[in-house]
Amino acid sequence: MLDYILRRFVYTLITIFAVASILFVLFRMLPGEATLQVISPAMDTSVQERMKRAFGLDQPLLIQYFIYLKNLVTLEWGRSFVSAQEVTDILAYRFWNTILLMAAGMCLTLVVGIGFGIIMAWRRNSALDIGGTVVSLIFQAAPPFITGLLLLIFLSYRLNLFPTGGMYPPGQRPDGLLELLMMPAFWERIVLPTITVGAYYIATPMLIMRDSMLEVLGSDFIELAKAKGLRPSVVMFKHAARNALLGVVTISGIMIGFAVGGQVVVESLFSWPGMGQLMVESAASHDYPVAQGTFLMLAILVIGLNFLTDVLYCYLDPRIKITAKGMN
Amino acid sequence: MKTQDTLDRRDFLKRAGATGLALSTASMPMFARAAGRPVESMALLTSNASFDPVRPEMGRLITQACKGLGWDVKLAAEDYNLGITKVFKELDFDMFIVRWTGRANRIDPETFIAMMHQQGGNYNKWGYNNARINELAKAQQVTMDPQKRRELVYEAQQVIFDDAATCPIVYPSMTNAYREDRLQGLVPMMGEGIGSFWSDMEVSVRQGDGYVRTGQTSPLKNLNPVSATDSNEFKELRMIYDRLIQIGPDGGLVPWAATSVTAVDDTTVDIVLRDGMKFHDGKPVTIEDVKFTFEYCTKWKAPFFISSLEKFASMELTGANSMRIKLTEPHAPLMNNFFAQIFILPQHIWKDIPEKVDVDDVLNFANENPVGSGPFRFDYWDRGKELKVSANRDHFKPPKCAGIIRVTYGSHDAMAAAIEAGECDRTRYILKPALVQDLDKVPGVAGRGYASHGMYGFMFNHLRGPFQDRNFREAIDLVIPRDVIREVVMAGFATNGGSVIAPANEFWHNPNVGGRTQNLRRARDLLGKAGYSWDDDGKLLYPA
Repeated sequence: MLDYILRRFVYTLITIFAVASILFVLFRMLPGEATLQVISPAMDTSVQERMKRAFGLDQPLLIQYFIYLKNLVTLEWGRSFVSAQEVTDILAYRFWNTILLMAAGMCLTLVVGIGFGIIMAWRRNSALDIGGTVVSLIFQAAPPFITGLLLLIFLSYRLNLFPTGGMYPPGQRPDGLLELLMMPAFWERIVLPTITVGAYYIATPMLIMRDSMLEVLGSDFIELAKAKGLRPSVVMFKHAARNALLGVVTISGIMIGFAVGGQVVVESLFSWPGMGQLMVESAASHDYPVAQGTFLMLAILVIGLNFLTDVLYCYLDPRIKITAKGMN
Repeated sequence: MKTQDTLDRRDFLKRAGATGLALSTASMPMFARAAGRPVESMALLTSNASFDPVRPEMGRLITQACKGLGWDVKLAAEDYNLGITKVFKELDFDMFIVRWTGRANRIDPETFIAMMHQQGGNYNKWGYNNARINELAKAQQVTMDPQKRRELVYEAQQVIFDDAATCPIVYPSMTNAYREDRLQGLVPMMGEGIGSFWSDMEVSVRQGDGYVRTGQTSPLKNLNPVSATDSNEFKELRMIYDRLIQIGPDGGLVPWAATSVTAVDDTTVDIVLRDGMKFHDGKPVTIEDVKFTFEYCTKWKAPFFISSLEKFASMELTGANSMRIKLTEPHAPLMNNFFAQIFILPQHIWKDIPEKVDVDDVLNFANENPVGSGPFRFDYWDRGKELKVSANRDHFKPPKCAGIIRVTYGSHDAMAAAIEAGECDRTRYILKPALVQDLDKVPGVAGRGYASHGMYGFMFNHLRGPFQDRNFREAIDLVIPRDVIREVVMAGFATNGGSVIAPANEFWHNPNVGGRTQNLRRARDLLGKAGYSWDDDGKLLYPA
């Protein structure tokens, strides 16, 4: 198993290196000269050159690439062209904002999705089963900006039940995470984006849970449990659901990774200062260090979660056999 | 602000019909055929709609109108950066539409006269070269007497207009919205609307904690007064840092930290600093701090200020609160574009920067806890979310509100919704005109357009094909459907363009330069008299 984990770890590092290199090239392939949004063409040429020097853009591209790689390894991801702040500082702050939103959304997705998946399988072909499937697929098919916009229009603009966006009321910045979490205003603001995220992803755990449950419910040990006279709720949750969870656990890691990266629209819609909004801002202003850092961090997160899922899978399912060539 | 005749959709359709009629008649040859080759098809470059929805719409209307001349123009709505690269770096463009926003440093005629039209001007990548304009641009730079300078600027505007060097399409208003049930005392300023410094100073809040929640869609980028070049950053920095003089609501200069900044003669400027000022950390503001600021910005080549500072020959302190600057040559834009822009730095803090903050260049210093002497003290900057500053009650002119909270919204729609819901009190910058119209109908909210000296300009590449001919350029100017653009594209929040200096800029605008009205027949007559002709298919041909 250790051999397998090491092998996967090396693959993960190679993937991250490849992503980092692709990002470097991609941002420099954007149309137009990148510096023009940061350095006004109205300035004297000498001033433009001076600003390029300060940002390290006067170096040949290959040198810039090696400096970039060196900085990646030493975790000195440079400074923002536009704010001069350390990229790692910016990312650290925005990352946790995204994690808060994503955690709330994923909790909602998993709790409701798994719960409904269990009940839908238990009541197979009932109105709840069919209705749940259709509704979850509709939410999955609808882009988050549609769901979010509808929620905003009805629950915020029309009925005035929730604030329109942000993480806390203007001027009331909390001192630290704990204070933020203690603010009722924060919870008021996280409701709509959480529902938007949750609605988009809910079909995945719900339908996987339903299918796994159906498979488990046909097993002999379930028949035996029923024959023993156990209450249906005990059979459903204690015996069937526990055995059906493996599929959802597997997919959760990947789903969480994609959810963190997929917050661009939700964060813009709800003015949530997270990684998604940072991606938009930095890409739009050609702020290379921040844009590269943001995308790379998300890539590392997704690749890292995939790696963890692979490792976790080995532990969760002892039937999986590790060979020198990989996993069977 | 609907300052012009209103034009509803029905009028628009009527005019569109009339244009169609004109187009069909235009296809008939009106002048004797000549042997000239066809005027080549060209591209009108604009930003794409995601950057500015207005420009491609204007472009579509103008390209359509050009067909009335028998000339084929294609719209090229490109990524903003790509567009700038084509214009300013590759010099590969035919014509383009640009928004010259009403920044404070554009109140001075330097930008619109010299930088845009003087040969070698920083913006003049389009190859415009007019001997008289070159003379006038230089002369207005070195004429320190404002009245005499204005005469030169008046003439320059007339020459630029007559030569159809640049065609201002419309002067867009600054479209803002605010909670009139919460705020009072807002002071609109030319080019900045109610997002102005004077609003920050004079506004008071009727209810709540006294803070003005100010919305903007672009995040605050920077709080470094040496490296900042963007007007959005200047709007926040000027609350924290004092300037020597300020630009008043009408564009005139107002003494601020300096009781006077006087041009003693054409190359000598005397500064007298106000007594008793203090930085937010309690240290006094001295004339040494002012001198240090100039020297520091020179040493580090502060991007926005260095071109002005390079005109300083020497600086000397002449008293406890005064100093004298000798210039290498007269430079009239200094007052507006330098003394009214530069921020006074506390020497006791900045003398150790960047050495003690672990960066190699001051441009890479984030200045996350700015200490100035301005009317507001810095509270915090929550990156990507908000900036909070509170009133400095020890300031010589303390603000009337408790402070300003600048909130970043994800979109114009989100900001408009926040205003409607009462979560945001006012907009700092432009809000989409359609949203302003909607918000104006909400009880307790006012949506307004405020006059600006900015413009949407139609720019030619003067080195290419027919644009070398002033008659051709004037003909283009004559087919621009300004009324339709104003009313339909700009939702009435604009006035028709004429001179390169907008009427809102009252001191510098030449009232005799009125602007051209759309007139296709006149345009074709003009081209015909200039020797152009049309082939059997109605295509425009060069003079033989």
